Amino acid sequence: MGSVLTRNCVTVSGVPSGRPMVFAHGFGCDQAMWRFVAPDFEVDHRVVLFDHVGAGRSDLTAYDPEKYGSLRGYASDIVQICRDLGLSDVVLVGHSVSAMIGVLALQEAPELFGAMVMIGPNPRYVDDGDYVGGFSRADIGGLLDALDSNHLGWSAQMAPVIMGNHPDHPELAEELTNSFCRTDPDIARQFARVTFLSDNRADLADVAVPTLVLQCSEDVIAPDVVGTYVHEAVPGSAFTRLAATGHVPHLSAPEETTAAIRAFLTG
Amino acid sequence: MTGPPGESDPRAQLGRLLEEDPADLYENAPMGYLSALPDGRIVKVNRTFCAWTGRSPEDLLGIRFQDLLTIGGRVFHETHLLPLLRMQGAVREIALDVVRMDGSLLPCLINAVELRDDDGAPVLMRATLFEATARRRYERELLSAQRAAEASEARSRMVQQVVSDMAAATSVADVASVIVERGREALGARGAALVLVDEDPSGGVDRVPGLHTEHAVGLPAELLHELRVAAIGQLALELAQGVRTVTLDDRLRTGRPEVAAAMLAGGLSSLVLVPVDADSRRLGVLVLGLGAVGGDLISLDEPEAVRATEPADVELLWTLGRQAGQALERARLHEETARQAERSAFLLEAARLLAEAADVRDTVERLAGLAVERLADVCAIDLASEQGMTRPVVRHRDPALQSLADELRQRQLPQRETPHPGMEALRRGRSVWVRELDEELLTAITLDPRHLEIAHELELVSMISVPFVSEGRALGVITLAADARRGRFTAADVDVAEQLALQVALVVAKAQRYELDVHTSHTLQANLLPPPPPEVAGLQMAVRYLAATQGVEVGGDFYDVVRLPDDQVALAVGDVVGHDITAAATMGQLNSVYRALLVDRPAPSAMIDRLQASWSLLGLQRMATALFATLHPATGQLRIASAGHLPPLLLTAGHAEFLPVTPSRMLGAPPAPAPAMEWAGVLPIGATLVLFTDGLVESRSADIDTGLAHLLTAASASGTSDPDELCDRLLAEMTGAHRADDIALLALTRTA
Repeated sequence: MGSVLTRNCVTVSGVPSGRPMVFAHGFGCDQAMWRFVAPDFEVDHRVVLFDHVGAGRSDLTAYDPEKYGSLRGYASDIVQICRDLGLSDVVLVGHSVSAMIGVLALQEAPELFGAMVMIGPNPRYVDDGDYVGGFSRADIGGLLDALDSNHLGWSAQMAPVIMGNHPDHPELAEELTNSFCRTDPDIARQFARVTFLSDNRADLADVAVPTLVLQCSEDVIAPDVVGTYVHEAVPGSAFTRLAATGHVPHLSAPEETTAAIRAFLTG
Repeated sequence: MTGPPGESDPRAQLGRLLEEDPADLYENAPMGYLSALPDGRIVKVNRTFCAWTGRSPEDLLGIRFQDLLTIGGRVFHETHLLPLLRMQGAVREIALDVVRMDGSLLPCLINAVELRDDDGAPVLMRATLFEATARRRYERELLSAQRAAEASEARSRMVQQVVSDMAAATSVADVASVIVERGREALGARGAALVLVDEDPSGGVDRVPGLHTEHAVGLPAELLHELRVAAIGQLALELAQGVRTVTLDDRLRTGRPEVAAAMLAGGLSSLVLVPVDADSRRLGVLVLGLGAVGGDLISLDEPEAVRATEPADVELLWTLGRQAGQALERARLHEETARQAERSAFLLEAARLLAEAADVRDTVERLAGLAVERLADVCAIDLASEQGMTRPVVRHRDPALQSLADELRQRQLPQRETPHPGMEALRRGRSVWVRELDEELLTAITLDPRHLEIAHELELVSMISVPFVSEGRALGVITLAADARRGRFTAADVDVAEQLALQVALVVAKAQRYELDVHTSHTLQANLLPPPPPEVAGLQMAVRYLAATQGVEVGGDFYDVVRLPDDQVALAVGDVVGHDITAAATMGQLNSVYRALLVDRPAPSAMIDRLQASWSLLGLQRMATALFATLHPATGQLRIASAGHLPPLLLTAGHAEFLPVTPSRMLGAPPAPAPAMEWAGVLPIGATLVLFTDGLVESRSADIDTGLAHLLTAASASGTSDPDELCDRLLAEMTGAHRADDIALLALTRTA
């Protein structure tokens, strides 16, 4: 395994000869988010899961505030992962902010990707004139405060365990609560800033692969109007509205989500 | 207590108390309790929660739990709480704010579990909520204290970094790039520029000093131009206002529409202006441009919101401005020294050439050759005689263009009144410097269309004419011109041209140049010394600085008196090894570093330790001896530490003695085991403390111990406790008309 693969804690499963699917998790938790949908695709795809640097079991020492001060930093990681694994014709499944990270990865290396699935995409969260993103600046300020109040399971003592440097103390790992969403508070804050304060509307027109926009019902983070906006901005994209509510259909309604993606890939 | 015996049995009483009604326990539990379907719809909620939120059960049933949260909380709920619940079946200690009926917030800690059916699908969420108002407030205070501490530490680091960067900066350009970069970093500014007041020795008193941009990063040239225009005429006023912020608002739009437009075009929302000064002389201003947007990200500030500069940042910027000012002075000294050396070499070469010249013609030929080699692109020399003006020579730097120069030679200065700088210079008997040759002037001073054409072909942009005068009679004029490639002449070029003319006119003797050099060096050194000591209640002070009388060398002695904010006074006297310009420069650096370190008000011994520890980092080129002291005038509390320096003298009622201050190694000397020792005591009322450098007690004829003994006798015999009188008497007694070394002397008497 190369350093990129350890850095992003990349896990590969499924059929080696199958069409590769790369699942990119969104803001909040880590690759465990895909646990209910990934197995379904392992039957006939090569399934690649990873953690963004700063999340899950990624290498926290690789966190560079300058590189990850822009979504492009995260996008170039995806490109690197695909190249290191020698993938082509990749189906990139991006949730939430990772849908936009995916758009940027496509811009950087269009030759790697063959299709894209955006789950709950939002190219700009902050309202801007006629554009409705769903949030005011004050709302985002409130979110950053909520993050400051929630250092899920994080303490200086736990940091080495989280970074995977203490294999000789497995009992510490057992102690972790809220473990799938633990992050260094400073990194979480910066990831939140770059997630909720980016504006990628202008990049959507560049997406030149078949794309599916998956829109949940009653999604406060990516409202209907935003999903429609993305669908209209991405040339030739397909649009599927899910009955699932909330922002994480792959956890709350995995069957419906899987079926929609399959229908898109085979249709 | 009365009643049936059973009632007084505590065990039975407890038993009854614990026979609680489960419904009551649920409804009135000391925590909020609610159950919700997987999509968040509340299906059961207890009375405690209803009471806390001011909502009735009817209000709550059927609405989604997440809709009770703030918007930030809803996002957190979607991105963290729900996924965790799905993945691990439970969450603990999630902090969220619930919005009460009246819109106020109830900070809560939430624990929740997910109930699942046989297939593992979620059927219900059960959550308990604990009020956490006080705890959250405490956490926030802790967090903000931590952030404040981090910011304060970052500011200290920044000051240290700037001090060390500045110590390494030897040119004005270096200093400018350091201050622009660090200033920008300090405020996270979009761009920054250092705008300096022109050094213009020839400018009259009534002339408005010009401004030029020394270095700029990330600020549009248009904006800098508008700022310079706006500052003209009220420069002193602008600079006297301290650190201040100019915001792009309606007032600016009406008052200074051009500045406002340039800011808007550059995407800037405000400008922060930081005065750059040294010893209360305004050298310029650091302009920081703050944008509404940081990097590619959308700003959290509302578009019209004004970002106020924090007081601590104002303080930091003010310090940066002062540091930059001192460093600029030092760098200018360095540059002036280098220019002086170059000038000396040039003038020496000129003297040699001129001495070898056979006659006047040969002299001016050689002179013109030298001028286009070092100073200008075109050199024309006109001579005045009874017969009128002649133009014996015009030379061009580039032999390929000499034919054009020869054509110019045919056009000697006209006798009639013209604005030609050569004629002006002859008439007025002093130099004329045309900084920027514009088309209008060019047309006025050329004699015919071809003349103008030549000037265009040569791309002349700037001129200097210097008359050479001997015994009040103008002998002629030398005119230098620069082309577009060389750029405009500077004040230094004028200086050189004048000196050259001086040589030509008077065949200047080496001795005269020598005198000029000595004067320049000592003036520069005197400029490095701090101003007279401040007035301090309870103290009378006198300082003396005497330069050596032999040689053109300058010394590295210094003294410094600073009033500290806690009513103490910090004193320093020191001597940098050597008697040359490096010693003087090191002295200047040492003094600024010392001033910077004073900010922390270290004890004198700690001051020495810090200087020693950072010596190699500061890049100071010479070792030095120094005495540092702090004195509390009200109590007389005195602390002194010495780095290899001679001891201070104490004069009490006619009795003189040296204070037994144990000297540690010299500043910059190789490490020795002993740390700096400190002498502490009390300076009695009426007693006088004298700090001095070795020039006072050294002489060629006797050793230093004899000199020190002589000083004791002289002090005892002086019969005065007035510092000024004492200084004068000691100097009269200890030194003659000739001094081999500089002397710095500081005397202070505690009055009451």
